[in-house]
Amino acid sequence: MKNSKRIFSVLIAFIMVLSVVLLASCNGKQGTETTSSGTTETTAGTKDTTDAETTEAVTTSIEVTPFPAGTYTYKDAVGTLATNWNPHTYQTNDDAYPAGFLRVGLYDFIFNDELHPVEGKDPYAGYKIIPEMAASFPVDVTEQVKASNPEYNIPAEATSGYAYTIDLNPNAVWENGEKINADTYVYSMKRLLDPELLNYRAQDYIIGSLQIANGAEYYYQGTTAYMPIGVTTSEYLAAGGKVEDLYIDVVNFWGVDDSYVDANGNVSPQYVSVTDETVYGESVDDAFSGADLYDVYFGPGAAYEAYSPDYVYYAVVYPAGVSFDVVGIKKTGEYQIMLVFAKSLAGFNLLYNLSSNWIVNQTLYEANLSKVGDTDAWASTYNTSVETTLSYGPYKLVSYQKDKSMRFEKNDKWYGYTDGQHVYVDPTDGKTYEFYQTTAIDCQVVSETGTRKLMFLKGELMTYGLQSDDVAEYRNSEYCYVSPSETIFFFIFNGYEEQLAKREANEGFDTTKYDLQTMALKSFRKAIAVTYDKEALCQALFPDCSPGFGIIGDMYIYDPDTGAKYRDTDVAKQALCEFYSVDVSKFDSLDDAVDSITGYDPVTAKKYFNEAFTEALEKGYITDTDKDGKSDQTLRIEYCCSSEVNERMQQRIDLLNEKVNEVAAGTPFEGKIEYYPSAPYGTDWSTKIRQGLSDVVLGGWSGSALDPFGLTDLYVNPERSYDGAWFEAGKVNVTMTLPIDGKDTEITMNLKAWSDALNGTASKDSKGDTYNFGEGQVDIQVRLAILAKIEATVLQTYDYIPCIQDGSLFLLTQQAYYVIEEYNPILGRGGIAYLKYNYNDEDWAAYVASQADGKLSY
Amino acid sequence: MLKYTLQRIVLMFFTLFIITLMCFVLVRMLPPVELPIEDPHAVVIAQRREAMGYNKPYLVQFGIFLKDVFTRFDWGISDKLYFGQPVADIFLEKLPATCIVNFYSIILSIPIGIMLGIFAALKKNTWIDHAISTLTMIVISVPSFVYAFLIQYFLSFKLGWFPFLMKAGTDYFSPEMFVSMLPAVLSLSFGVIAGFTRTTRAELTEVLTSEFMLLARTKGLTRGQATVRHALKNCMVVVVPAIFGEFIGIMGGSLIIEKIFSVPGVGSLYINSINGRDYAMFMLLTVFYTVIGLLASIIVDISYGFIDPRIRMGSKK
Repeated sequence: MKNSKRIFSVLIAFIMVLSVVLLASCNGKQGTETTSSGTTETTAGTKDTTDAETTEAVTTSIEVTPFPAGTYTYKDAVGTLATNWNPHTYQTNDDAYPAGFLRVGLYDFIFNDELHPVEGKDPYAGYKIIPEMAASFPVDVTEQVKASNPEYNIPAEATSGYAYTIDLNPNAVWENGEKINADTYVYSMKRLLDPELLNYRAQDYIIGSLQIANGAEYYYQGTTAYMPIGVTTSEYLAAGGKVEDLYIDVVNFWGVDDSYVDANGNVSPQYVSVTDETVYGESVDDAFSGADLYDVYFGPGAAYEAYSPDYVYYAVVYPAGVSFDVVGIKKTGEYQIMLVFAKSLAGFNLLYNLSSNWIVNQTLYEANLSKVGDTDAWASTYNTSVETTLSYGPYKLVSYQKDKSMRFEKNDKWYGYTDGQHVYVDPTDGKTYEFYQTTAIDCQVVSETGTRKLMFLKGELMTYGLQSDDVAEYRNSEYCYVSPSETIFFFIFNGYEEQLAKREANEGFDTTKYDLQTMALKSFRKAIAVTYDKEALCQALFPDCSPGFGIIGDMYIYDPDTGAKYRDTDVAKQALCEFYSVDVSKFDSLDDAVDSITGYDPVTAKKYFNEAFTEALEKGYITDTDKDGKSDQTLRIEYCCSSEVNERMQQRIDLLNEKVNEVAAGTPFEGKIEYYPSAPYGTDWSTKIRQGLSDVVLGGWSGSALDPFGLTDLYVNPERSYDGAWFEAGKVNVTMTLPIDGKDTEITMNLKAWSDALNGTASKDSKGDTYNFGEGQVDIQVRLAILAKIEATVLQTYDYIPCIQDGSLFLLTQQAYYVIEEYNPILGRGGIAYLKYNYNDEDWAAYVASQADGKLSY
Repeated sequence: MLKYTLQRIVLMFFTLFIITLMCFVLVRMLPPVELPIEDPHAVVIAQRREAMGYNKPYLVQFGIFLKDVFTRFDWGISDKLYFGQPVADIFLEKLPATCIVNFYSIILSIPIGIMLGIFAALKKNTWIDHAISTLTMIVISVPSFVYAFLIQYFLSFKLGWFPFLMKAGTDYFSPEMFVSMLPAVLSLSFGVIAGFTRTTRAELTEVLTSEFMLLARTKGLTRGQATVRHALKNCMVVVVPAIFGEFIGIMGGSLIIEKIFSVPGVGSLYINSINGRDYAMFMLLTVFYTVIGLLASIIVDISYGFIDPRIRMGSKK
């Protein structure tokens, strides 16, 4: 026993010592937190020089006002910290966070001002694209390259848009001073598209709008790649595609796993040919063959054909042995590259696509690349720590601790601090300042919003995103900003008459007391459309949003070159006036007419309620047995809920009831309209709405901010629209007179065909003529007119009652302010580049300490 | 005793192997993470999974896993949470923060808990005992994140005594770091203090009413002498193993507390690896926590034999 005690004592002592050693050794691992004091000193030491150089360079042409001395730290908080910001492999938005500080694109956007004027635009009303890592704008060399380099397969008829030379900025260097030249770009593209590395971001350069010539051939060489067909199978076949080339992704569509085997025990592949009749999964319930799936679900006219762009692929066999020499990027000079594209790209889209960058530092990249165990996969630790990161942007990473914090400080090697180009004129004082007053960025992980709020009120964070509970207190603060987003939310109203009739016929439904069918009457829905004051609704229910009046939101830009918004066009304004029954002739201008729209017009609403009553009586939907001029039945409208009704949902339903009964007072529907919550439908809510089994819900769509035209399909494609079961856009003919080839032409097409033609699919009109109104095919004004017509037609179904424009509210610290208050859909408010400070860090600390309880008041 | 210990260790390895195999196979049997529809990058992800061997038979994959671990101590590459980075490195980077915070918490909690327990037991059925017992029950009933928010609000926001978050960096033994850890340490400590108070009070109360305590008093020992020499020793049979358990548990971390105070520890790694289906990270953590659990169990069991000679481990008598 004594011996055992000794052994045990020694064992315990050993474990304790081991624990201490383990802790100490882990503590000593510098890789965990990599603050480099040397780096910090260097930065501080060179800052004065940089400032002096900047001033000297800039004063040669314009007078730049220096910022007051001191440090200006931007204190930021994120929920999840970046773990991998390698431009070739990063996957998430969180991982993209450091990119804006460390990297710069070949071209970039800045606000227009006196120093960067845009014709026809007031300062800060638009944006300007400037060369950054490029020295000048691209030069189109398509003709020459087509003749000299047949390996790029530039179409014979192409004269432009396929090949460009780009002069590189010779002043661009890595933070260690290493030069960035044409070799850097070529090497980086070679590694990005390396077929062995399987880099996640390779796809950004071989499919989509920017496709490097032969990039896909190089990347996929020796393999069969499956690409989504991107259109419906009918459209694919109509365009000359072959059925035998099609495959179905059975893993994502059918949930296939290893249990799905054929008669010989072979496991089903992920992509099964639509001509393959092999049956997989006979031992499980839902056996299938590729041919069956195609016939039943995805073939032309089949039940799920509308989803074929998502699940049907075409196979491309890529031969092996493709050399990088044929890939469309070449060094044509020490500081010049040539880019060749597989499909044409020009103008705004070219520059927009080149506003991100793919370059990596060759030495560091190679040092951090390794094979994953015994597999064929490769892994890279490039851009996962301070040691593996080299910046070429305005800031450099000086400290990083996983899941905790990262710190950036000014990169004194960035050309932008000395080139005299990165300056702006402050609209408030008219003086010229450099971009980036911020000297350092401290980003910490703060998971809890409650903690963020406390830290913000103590001056420890620069912004705080308002939660619903905060909105009432801070909405009117002078430090409160709105960031609108593209999404428009609307109430979707059930207009499915057959389904409503069926529901009324169900056992247990008392038609003497209740009614459903009246809600399908257009007159009733017209009344509802002008029953709710959108502004008041927003303030009561969605305080961080703004009112929405159309189905296309305020943020959509139809002309990226100028930043012009669809909602600002006359045709779009006219569409709204028609929907809200606004008589434009009663106003001085169309703008005044649109400004008068609130969505609330009780007089018109009462008129439509009376019309609906008469119509409903005639159709036998309701009765008025006592002839008191009021409906005997209460119209019950089920509000579709995905989860149990919570306080906010109940508040929403109560408000809908309150307002509709206010407006319906004095009409036959006084006290006879009732919204009530549904059972929790979970993810089935959209199916319930689409099938007319539930009556109203607040739903929304959003799309690319630069493509309002693409939204039309969401409302006219029966497989995507909420009202496809009762609104057949393919049968609604719309006639427009448009200038075609210089003369006005009357064209009649159904709504679906108009939408398809607007989005680039050639469609036939009622006379059999084919039209394509896609991008670049016709004048933009023609496209806008079609878009507005489609919007007006969809709105006039009264299936969608626009309600709110989504957005968010946040508080900005008193320490700083944005030079430009107006939100721009592309630039926002300019970010850190345009942020100016009221206090440096030292003064700010003193100011916060001087407040009562050290708490700032907003 | 030695034979028993060896038996337990052999059994531990056997159990570890079974658990590891089961977890590995079960996790790999889960349907693969759905590839994002319409996302062109799905093609790359699918190809990468193929290259990583995800489509090989499970036992082959398990064999590869064991081979890599035993030959190169290679636990794999994170395929989701820390894309492309070795999971063992990430785990080791994050472990110290968890250990330090929990270590301070235990160092603070155990003496306070035991002292309160002793005090309550000695003052049994007085208002002091009632007050301590009531407070203990309240503290045990309230989740630790409630204290965390209260501490953050009052001590950090209102009084400004502590920073809101744990300081960034790895200077774990610096005074600034210690101060920044205190809110997290205090939040973790309340529960541990209450637990030890309750255990100590219950055990000591029982021991104090034993006949041998009466004998000790009748042979002339003072109450204090009897309590220290006899009662405390006996009640430690339960308390000491609990201390061992707590020490080993310090590596487990606390998901909520680490999130609130931004402690860069391992608390959330396990859950994140399951949600993200980061197989390599999950397997490393599974093996680690299984080893910790099994070791704790052995040490606690064996410690009974050393603390109380009456307990014979593995004895057939």
